[in-house]
Amino acid sequence: MRIKLNSIFVDDQDKARRFYTEVLGFKVSKDIPVGEFKWLTVVSPEGPDDLELVLEPNANPAAKAFQESVLEQGIPITGFEVDDIQAEYRRLKDQGVVFTMNPTQTGPVTVAVFADTCGNLIQLYQAGG
Amino acid sequence: MLHKDVLIRLCQARDMLRETGDGALSVRHVAEEIGMSLYHFIHLFKAVFGETPKQCQLKARLEEAKVLFMTTETSVTDICMEVGFSSLGTFSYVFARRVGVAPSAYRAAARSMVQVPGEIPKKLIPGCLSLMSGSPG
Repeated sequence: MRIKLNSIFVDDQDKARRFYTEVLGFKVSKDIPVGEFKWLTVVSPEGPDDLELVLEPNANPAAKAFQESVLEQGIPITGFEVDDIQAEYRRLKDQGVVFTMNPTQTGPVTVAVFADTCGNLIQLYQAGG
Repeated sequence: MLHKDVLIRLCQARDMLRETGDGALSVRHVAEEIGMSLYHFIHLFKAVFGETPKQCQLKARLEEAKVLFMTTETSVTDICMEVGFSSLGTFSYVFARRVGVAPSAYRAAARSMVQVPGEIPKKLIPGCLSLMSGSPG
């Protein structure tokens, strides 16, 4: 048994596909149309065999309510590890990504938080030396 | 950096933009409600939500129309008005362009999936892992 999938809700899968590939730089792993929706997953080019992230439609009212409450509370839905958080911060900011927390040292890690344009906040973290 | 109170105001704005019927507000009015200049509001909203306030509003209205087509017998004209369009021509054009089929065709297709009257078919409320195999719900 392995942990291979994790999912986040997105308010629009086409928008999510664009943001997660063109802006963040992930690669689409699966994009299977299913009626109005898709089985859509992305992987990191730095770790294509790592976890696959499912970009799940939030069309279920329960999912939508959860996603919107968590966003309004300012809580990130998941986190991505980076080697150089300052460089990632600049790279994303240059592309117009909005941060709700600039890179901040908290204990052994440095974290930053941005809006993914699909209704979520995402945390970046760089492990300390 | 976007401060927490601004994020909350943008979330509130999104809720307001999604209001249809009597509660509906114009984008300008929503900007006023949350105390931002129109330009600043549009710019910030797009950066955070990936779409302009107008696009968000339009999407919400079309979503509402889809639900009404599925769950009620209300006429296309009445639904068009109910979700905030003033012209049936504009509504039909925008609906067809965004959804891919004309309102009447959408209704016919959606109604064929409805098993319990007044309820949205399960097929249209996906549970994610059920999509993996290529069959919803």
